[in-house]
Amino acid sequence: MVATTSPRPPASRDVPLVARRPLQGPYLLLTFRHPEVAGRTRAGQFVMIKANTAADPLLRRPFSIMSVHPAEDTFTLFLKVVGSGTRALADLRSGETAGCLGPLGRPFPMPPEDHEALLVAGGYGIAPFVLFGDELRRAGRRARAFYGGRTSGDLQGHDPFTALGLPLACCTDDGSFGHHGRVTDAVEAYLDTRPGAVTLYACGPDAMLHAAARLAERRNVPAQVSLDPWMGCGVGTCLGCVVRIQRADEPRGKYRCACTEGPVFDARDVVWAGEGSSRARREAAAVLR
Amino acid sequence: MSLAVQLAGLRLKNPLIAASGTFGYGVEYEGILDLSRLGGIVSKGLYLEPRDGCAVPRIVETPSGLLNAIGLQGVGIRAFVRDVLPRLDGYDTAVIVNVCGDTVEEYAEVARIAEAPGVDALEINISCPNVKKGGMAFGGDPRMTHEVVAAVRKATRLPVIPKLSPNVADVTVFARVCEEAGADALSCINTLLGLAVDVERRMPRLAFGTGGLSGPAIRPVAVRMAWQAARAVRIPVIGIGGIASAEDALEFLIAGCRAVQIGTANFVDPGVYSRILAGLEDYLRRHGRESINDVVGSLRFPDAEETGGGGC
Repeated sequence: MVATTSPRPPASRDVPLVARRPLQGPYLLLTFRHPEVAGRTRAGQFVMIKANTAADPLLRRPFSIMSVHPAEDTFTLFLKVVGSGTRALADLRSGETAGCLGPLGRPFPMPPEDHEALLVAGGYGIAPFVLFGDELRRAGRRARAFYGGRTSGDLQGHDPFTALGLPLACCTDDGSFGHHGRVTDAVEAYLDTRPGAVTLYACGPDAMLHAAARLAERRNVPAQVSLDPWMGCGVGTCLGCVVRIQRADEPRGKYRCACTEGPVFDARDVVWAGEGSSRARREAAAVLR
Repeated sequence: MSLAVQLAGLRLKNPLIAASGTFGYGVEYEGILDLSRLGGIVSKGLYLEPRDGCAVPRIVETPSGLLNAIGLQGVGIRAFVRDVLPRLDGYDTAVIVNVCGDTVEEYAEVARIAEAPGVDALEINISCPNVKKGGMAFGGDPRMTHEVVAAVRKATRLPVIPKLSPNVADVTVFARVCEEAGADALSCINTLLGLAVDVERRMPRLAFGTGGLSGPAIRPVAVRMAWQAARAVRIPVIGIGGIASAEDALEFLIAGCRAVQIGTANFVDPGVYSRILAGLEDYLRRHGRESINDVVGSLRFPDAEETGGGGC
């Protein structure tokens, strides 16, 4: 599809780093000055950003916006150093600039008013939930978070989140911090307490998103997942970040850009590799009945 | 001081054109940059019908380059003419449609439909490496190249600009064939066929297998081929390949290109045009030239005396 015009297009500019806070291990918080991102971002949106490092690495990378500070025209990213692009960003010094385009993408939709929002994060997937938790709190909605990682060192987004004052359950695969087990198991245990109507939101590694989507399907709760495919441009022109999405009346689904039609999608519509979408399964089951 | 160029009957306000497949249909960049600052825009490749494109992953970054196998996902020529063209109407920039086809007949039919008010020229895609039919299969065979270009030439009164593949032994053969078949200009070059391997899985990193390499990594190859093509034909050549700065664009212009296309750099920074335009004006000032056309084809090779003699 041809993207429709946004009334408030994203802005591309060189942004200076204004604060850099190392956390444990490969994690750190980076704060940049960018008036449009600081002023317009809604939770779940992202920026394309790259330290100005000539041609290698070549492309900007997508990062969820963790928090915004409109009074200072700044926004903060939660970064895990994994390769040369993130290394170059992590090595920026105050005042040095990065090329940045944003805010981009479809934000998390608000849950229905009587729903509790369950925020399910894996690793650096906590980033957009700091901003979303803040939006939910300001809107007077109920919310709680489930935050999982392989080990305690992976839960470095813990402090910015607890500052919001929302309930937070931590999980680690090795039991070194919080519950011993997978984050989706903790969510399921919470659902077993019959908490009333909930909407699930998930952001993290693919396997965790898939598990969250399956859980939502099994327990019949609405869910939104924030996908993180390789992205080239962030504005729907390179068509590199497409994901197969199957909405009602789409027998095969369509490739849709995660950058412009996502990154947040209704979990029912996502066609998972080798499995298809839960919408398709439901419709097939209805036909059989 | 003027950056305006004449090309295949078109007058472009400057020599910078957004390359096919890297700028969507133009409208995606509305508001992010002023489309009227561009000399022209080439649309994403368009067939008669919408296309789904390749499976994912479709892009992978390589040193100073981008390897892609998108597979010409697109809305089709009719949706472009109906839905997109009216939105480009208000911009003062040349609109060039990238014409694709699985068959010679499809190229001609797409060209006929593309001849709509607001379209200024047609670029013929005979060089996409990521489709099983058409694309590079046509652009790698001089006879098929001639047939496609001649068929499009016959189908339209618009300027016709074949986009050449670098995946051939001698680009000048194809440049001449296109000129003979009635082309008004040439775009040089499309992406270089490449393969990136995931060594852990021992599989290609792209779902399609091979892909097309673009970005600064290919620039010297592209400059060489555009230079060869420009010397081989009388029609103008548009240089493409890894341009991200004014200096990069000037390499192609000096090597004989009348204009250039900006591709992968659009992904890196949509604001690249302003920087390049400012750099071109600065260059003309520094070198005391009135027009960018004074620079075109000004490449000279040093004689034996200058190099100390002896050649290689």
